[in-house]
Amino acid sequence: MAGADSPSAALQRRDLCARGIRLAGKMRADVVDLLEAYAERQGLDASASVAAVEGVPAAAVERWDEQTGTQRLVENLAAYRAFRALLAQMLEEHREQLGEADAALGRALAAVLLQVSAFAYHLEELLRLESRGPPAEEEEEDEEEEEEADGPPPQPLGLFEQKLRGLGVLRELAQWAVRSARDLRQLAKPSPGSGSAPSLAESP
Amino acid sequence: FQYARVGADVTMKCGSMDWDAAVTWTVNGTDIDESHLNGSYLILKNVDLMQSGQYFCYEGSSWHLKYQTYLRVGTPPKEPVLMCRSNNYPKGFYCSWHLPTPTYIPNIFNISVIHGTKEMVCEKDAVLKNRCHIRYLQLFSTVKYKVTLTVTNALGKNFTTLTFDEFAIVKPDPPESVVAKPVPNNPRRLEVSWQNPSSWPDPESFPLKFFLRYRPLILDQWQHVELSDGTSHTITDAYAGKEYIIQVAAKDNDIGTWSDWSVAVHATPWTEEPKHLTTEAQITETTSASTSSFMAPPTTKICDKGAMVGSGAVAVCWTAGLVVAAYSVLFI
Repeated sequence: MAGADSPSAALQRRDLCARGIRLAGKMRADVVDLLEAYAERQGLDASASVAAVEGVPAAAVERWDEQTGTQRLVENLAAYRAFRALLAQMLEEHREQLGEADAALGRALAAVLLQVSAFAYHLEELLRLESRGPPAEEEEEDEEEEEEADGPPPQPLGLFEQKLRGLGVLRELAQWAVRSARDLRQLAKPSPGSGSAPSLAESP
Repeated sequence: FQYARVGADVTMKCGSMDWDAAVTWTVNGTDIDESHLNGSYLILKNVDLMQSGQYFCYEGSSWHLKYQTYLRVGTPPKEPVLMCRSNNYPKGFYCSWHLPTPTYIPNIFNISVIHGTKEMVCEKDAVLKNRCHIRYLQLFSTVKYKVTLTVTNALGKNFTTLTFDEFAIVKPDPPESVVAKPVPNNPRRLEVSWQNPSSWPDPESFPLKFFLRYRPLILDQWQHVELSDGTSHTITDAYAGKEYIIQVAAKDNDIGTWSDWSVAVHATPWTEEPKHLTTEAQITETTSASTSSFMAPPTTKICDKGAMVGSGAVAVCWTAGLVVAAYSVLFI
């Protein structure tokens, strides 16, 4: 962990955080636009309450201010890897259902998928800097295979369920983009220890 | 206590006295005319607010007090007005309420805050009776908050419900300590600085962006500048010699809505003192007293509230307006 404390590592972390914050901001703006377009195309209300969708990482977190820097990065990375797979699936479904009929929406989905992939890579770089290294994706896939072996294979979703899930994916992704910017700002703060996170001062 | 709705008819019985007993009714110490009596019963038709008061019934000859009541005339509550806002994100939010019209009788307010399936505690404000505070237990949630306010009084009940996202209600307080100064030797510049609202708990992790607006007092159209960071800005296109009014608003960088405008400040860009007004005596005096030969115009000037015309963010000093108008006549 000595590497994470050196001045050059601190500067590199700050620089990566700053770029990550800009990436997250751009990503959020694009996801919000995509969410509105997606809801309109699918005949859904973008603001309607949607129950938590299985497999979509929820951005909601308790005691956010008490998380360590490493916790933030690990949770963010797990989320964006999941979104990468979910968006790829949405893109595939979109192409199967509409083909070239709604190319603009397809392009917008692809663009967001690219940003999500780039952000995931960015998080991996930050984790390497923390001398932790990112958790291997293969481990997560193995865990998923083990879980699947325990129960019956998931039923394919109907068209309406696919649309609702898509809405849920984009909505949670928009939340994550905001959370990620906040997480990176916390990470960029100078702190005495590599894993400690400053907490908000309590006041009446 | 006895409560009655405005416009209702009220009948008061004099305790256990028979209908045909001789009694005297008073209200707030004044005898009530017999025309309002039906036997010993007091009949008040179509009551109004003025008929609220302390009513006594005395036995006719002995003047023994047989009955007393305090009548309060009022109305059942209309639908209350409820507002929720987070000016201290990410700590929590508060909800405030009021009735659109008074009921003239005591009301009890009950508020419930639900997030998903969880009921949250709304802590009463230390000072304001119509406000309570909720601490966020979760951040970045897509689950909406549902706030229900119920108001009850002796004559009826009403309620209202608000449903909102965590992000939608975020609205900081306006920036504080706005200061505008002329820049020496720069007749078209004004330096403006301000501070984050003190209620915003963590501007480092939750930075604010700002919106500055400014105009010369003599014009109606505002210039606008949006600033993504920093708490200062230099206006470089001010009209020379004209007094300006300047305000700033704040918003979280990512979520929520703009704050209200800050208190307005006034400033006039630096001007060179006209040489033809300087007499020989003044040159001598100035040279001996100070190295500077120019008087800088006054710095930030905030209008007295009593001298303000207009309301809210667009307010003008009478005196400033007269001065500017005079200069306008001379120089435009």
